[in-house]
Amino acid sequence: MKITEKIDVRFPRTLAEALRLQAGEQTRGKLLAGGTDLMVQWAAGVPAPERATSVWNLPELSAIEMAPDAIEIGAGVTHAFLRDCVQIRRHLPALVAAAATVGAAQIQSRGTLGGNAANASPAGDTAPALLVTGGSVVLASLSGRREVPLDRFWIDYRKIDARPDEIIVAFRLPPKGRAKERFRKIGTRRAQAISKVMAASRILVEKGRIVSAAIALGSVAPTPVRLAQVEAFLVGKKLSPKLIDEAEQLAQATVAPIADIRSSAEYRRWASGRLVRDALEHL
Amino acid sequence: MTKRTSKPVRLIGKGMPRVDADGKVRGTTRYLNDIDYKGIWHGVVVRSPVPRGILRAIVPGPAFAGDNLVLATAKDIPGENVVHMHDRTMPLLAEIGGEIRYRGEPVAVVAAATPEQAAAAARDVRIEVDELPPLLTLDEAVAIFKSAPGKLDTMKEQTIVKGDLAQGFTAADDVVEAEYWAGHQEQLYLENQGLVVFPQKDGSILSEGSIQCPYFPVHELNDPLKLPPEKIRVRQTPIGGAFGGKEDYPTMLTGYAALPALKSGKPVKITYERNEDILFTPKRHPVWVRFKTGFKKDGTLTAIECDYILDGGAYLTISDVVMYRGILHCALAYRCDNVVIRGKVARTNSFPCGAFRGFGAPQAIWGIESHMDAIAARLGKTPHEYRLQVHARPGDVTPTGQTLSDENGSTACLKLALKRSDFARKLRQASRGKLRKGQKKFVGVGLSFFAHGSAFTGDGEAKFKAKGRVELARLEDGKPGINIRVSSTEMGQGVHTIFTQIAADALSLDAARIRFPMADTGLVPNSGPTVASRTTMVVGNVVYRAALDLKNQIESFAALRFFKGAPAELRGSRLLSKGARPVSFETAAKAMLAEIGSASGFFEFLLPADIRWDQATFKGDSYPGYSWSANVAEIEIDPLTCELEVKRVTAIVDIGRVINPVTATGQVEGGLTQALGYAVMEKIGTGKNGLYDAARLQTYIIPTALDVPEYDVKFVEYPYSFAPPGAKGLGELPMDGLAPAIANAIEAAIGRRLRQIPLTPEAIFAALHPAQGGTP
Amino acid sequence: MSTIRRTWKINGKTVAVRFPAGRRLLDVLREDLGLIGSKESCGEGECGACTVIVNDEPVVSCILPAGQLADGTEILTVEGIEKKRVGRLIQQAFIEVGAVQCGFCIPGMVVSSYALLCKNPKPSTKAIREGLAGNLCRCTGYTKIIAAVKLAASRIPAAKRT
Repeated sequence: MKITEKIDVRFPRTLAEALRLQAGEQTRGKLLAGGTDLMVQWAAGVPAPERATSVWNLPELSAIEMAPDAIEIGAGVTHAFLRDCVQIRRHLPALVAAAATVGAAQIQSRGTLGGNAANASPAGDTAPALLVTGGSVVLASLSGRREVPLDRFWIDYRKIDARPDEIIVAFRLPPKGRAKERFRKIGTRRAQAISKVMAASRILVEKGRIVSAAIALGSVAPTPVRLAQVEAFLVGKKLSPKLIDEAEQLAQATVAPIADIRSSAEYRRWASGRLVRDALEHL
Repeated sequence: MTKRTSKPVRLIGKGMPRVDADGKVRGTTRYLNDIDYKGIWHGVVVRSPVPRGILRAIVPGPAFAGDNLVLATAKDIPGENVVHMHDRTMPLLAEIGGEIRYRGEPVAVVAAATPEQAAAAARDVRIEVDELPPLLTLDEAVAIFKSAPGKLDTMKEQTIVKGDLAQGFTAADDVVEAEYWAGHQEQLYLENQGLVVFPQKDGSILSEGSIQCPYFPVHELNDPLKLPPEKIRVRQTPIGGAFGGKEDYPTMLTGYAALPALKSGKPVKITYERNEDILFTPKRHPVWVRFKTGFKKDGTLTAIECDYILDGGAYLTISDVVMYRGILHCALAYRCDNVVIRGKVARTNSFPCGAFRGFGAPQAIWGIESHMDAIAARLGKTPHEYRLQVHARPGDVTPTGQTLSDENGSTACLKLALKRSDFARKLRQASRGKLRKGQKKFVGVGLSFFAHGSAFTGDGEAKFKAKGRVELARLEDGKPGINIRVSSTEMGQGVHTIFTQIAADALSLDAARIRFPMADTGLVPNSGPTVASRTTMVVGNVVYRAALDLKNQIESFAALRFFKGAPAELRGSRLLSKGARPVSFETAAKAMLAEIGSASGFFEFLLPADIRWDQATFKGDSYPGYSWSANVAEIEIDPLTCELEVKRVTAIVDIGRVINPVTATGQVEGGLTQALGYAVMEKIGTGKNGLYDAARLQTYIIPTALDVPEYDVKFVEYPYSFAPPGAKGLGELPMDGLAPAIANAIEAAIGRRLRQIPLTPEAIFAALHPAQGGTP
Repeated sequence: MSTIRRTWKINGKTVAVRFPAGRRLLDVLREDLGLIGSKESCGEGECGACTVIVNDEPVVSCILPAGQLADGTEILTVEGIEKKRVGRLIQQAFIEVGAVQCGFCIPGMVVSSYALLCKNPKPSTKAIREGLAGNLCRCTGYTKIIAAVKLAASRIPAAKRT
């Protein structure tokens, strides 16, 4: 008998039913989407909860709505769906590219956008791409809905701004418009890799001048992070090799990564700047 | 199937499909965990929580109050508390009052009717240890060696001496000296370790499971279990990969399971999950190797001095032999009259290292093949021209004094690899740290060249005398056929298929009538372990000769029974005699089985009488034969991130006669991929807590289908004529030389030499941007 | 602890199962239904040896809570693959090309290959590598496995590609 069998998993069929089940919960970590993170953590010895609620396949979490100001993607949408969806790719190319690097085909079939965000790993592949949209997370509970801007959602290592009784139901993500997006992940290998460092960016250049810039990194801090200083430095400036050099160095000065089994602190610091360079060189 | 012809089909040299493939593609092959054993108990090993200390007490908790549960400690060992291995020092279980020498050292074994009960009980054992300071890593050992060599705790030392080293350095115009490091590597067979021990009514045991060398437990556990070899029977279940990882360790695992099995009278199964398998089974040895080489202006090597220290872990187990193979491969492939190689097995408080494909040679070759490029660079020669100049070839004398026969295809491997890869041109185009116009990535190409000794070291095979039988029997379909009875195990490498080919050709019999049952020490003679690149060459020869012996017997019987004494020949599955109607093998064999019962051919392997080996001085013929290879790696490095991509690998291989080109190519491609992982990504070490720091597949990273380069594998055949059909060893060779080829390619790409594997982006970054403070 | 009941279509047959709420699909398949072709190696979704197809998508059954599969879910395991024409082509190609060594990863490889060829009957080499990237093999170096998938794809008749 595997450890997960000690968990009493409930399988609600609707969001309302799931919200009722969650209503009394005092602690987090009991919502089970595709299981590609939680089942692994429990197998690896992270203490398993007594109860868990499955949110897999809830119809209310599976929708995608395209509006001019924001694309609303249900939290239960899988990476495989994102990977293959041409319309979303047009508006959110970095997110689609990120989804295609999550694990491999089998994990993409099951892993969800909501699950990846809730897992709150600094190495969560979709987080930087979500961050650069400037969008928000939609949370639901019996007491109603609220939206949390993504750049305030990941508050610390594996901590999110959501109460135990709340369920992530969707992401509201403004499309890139005329800006350019880029995603790049440096992994331990070419597939099935957890990142050493990764970056997503959304930058708008008009007439050679940077109008807006959003750059986010993963695996360099306790949470996925926006490089606000670098963004502020870039906006309004003319794109030039010198500017790129300076942005690279500023990014390196800004981050304070740690060393772990996957990489060294020095490499991560250096590569953070390099990925900023990569984004700027591809405009 | 085709029209009858007197010309029998020859299978040797053909890519006959594997005999075991059908069940494997359909998922019907039953590996250990697919077998539904009824009524067995499940064992869990209780381990030391610290890397070093004195074991004071083992205190079972309340979980042990119930029934259907047994706890075995050192007190339950029927005989002497020792696993024989190579020096009889390692206890089967740690003793109270004895020294714990590594984290995870087995202290007790719990067995219970369900795995959950056993696991819960194992967690309920308190281990009291007075901790002592450990020495955990090779880095620490080498630091001791460098500051005070006498203080290094070595479990075994061996030196190879050829000529006069001092004179060699005196004669040298220049000297290059450098150190090279290699870390642990996990075998990562996909099927985890496991076996079941069945206690028998007569006090003997049967161990069944994923066991690479069934005769090892038979001969290594006699003292602790107080059982003679004939009372320890071991048989193989289908093995889901081993690579050496199931060579030495299943002996210990059999011992662990045997204790509660003997105590409870119940069969006990121990099977590991991945995490336990990575944490608590042996790895490839970390090695530090230092080369100091003297050479003349024209490149002639006048002196090679080498220190080779491997981290054996807490007990010697088999590390002496790994070290021997290592030092024998340190300077094997080049001409040099004055050589000193000093090997040492250092003791640390880490998990004892063990066998892994290559067995000390990959670390040696990692060093020397990196170093040869460094010498070439100092001389201003290209690495390939320099190797063409100084590589060993027939007539040359090895560091142990062995003269290479003309059955060594060293030159052919080197030349063909250079030609097929267009090496010289690609080397001229290498980036050397400067991007050309329009280039986005640094490109480089690197070469390595090496040999791997086939079979046991020295006079091992002469002493061992591998035995094998090929028997006539009634098969499962009721019709007569042949059983191959040798102890070689199928673990993916294809031995069941190629021995079928060999026996079929020797007997001139349809391969469909030949079976190769799983090795079972109760049924097969000891043809030795399936290790050391010896199986096809040595045991293949035994099968061939034993099959010829049986063929003679069948022909003699048929001559009398069917042809009035006229000579008969078994040819193309029929018995032929001049002027008579042929008799089918089936008819003849049926008659033979009915009239004289079973018949079998037998052979015992012998080495040529003139082989000489002195184990004390390491002088003489260190291996019966040598396989050769040259690898060329073509790589790209992204200057943006220092990410490395290996684009293409050329591997030219001389393994003598190629029995099955399809399985042989598969072995090379698979070995190269393990070597690729070793070279660029697989990283695991002993952490401060004494545990391996990458304990899961999320942290221990091996290549995926997206990581492998394009392979160009070609064979050149220089057969070993003494042992028909003439094969030399293949299994380990592909693991040996890719890491240095890639390091040499990196040097060509960025102009920096890396001296430690794995060759990660972090290491490339540190080499290219030292000012940024990179530590690999 | 609650017990879950589900009725699935496994390898074309309707099967009713009962299991504890937290049970993994792999355990239901191997232990409750005796479908031992799917293997457990890593237990954390990294190696792909336990790959099965659920409603046309490849998944790793070792980290899949079985209760999440609703009634009517279609599951295809290696045992059902050989009843499919393309499945048999894949198995034959694996044998012919020499893509099998120890065999432990092979059922998962065959299942992933089938999932890939159902979606993309003429995959490029890159697509094959991507399709198999979730299945680790330690014996073959993947080269012959990739060749086998190519060979199988070349034999799929243009008209009938599933």
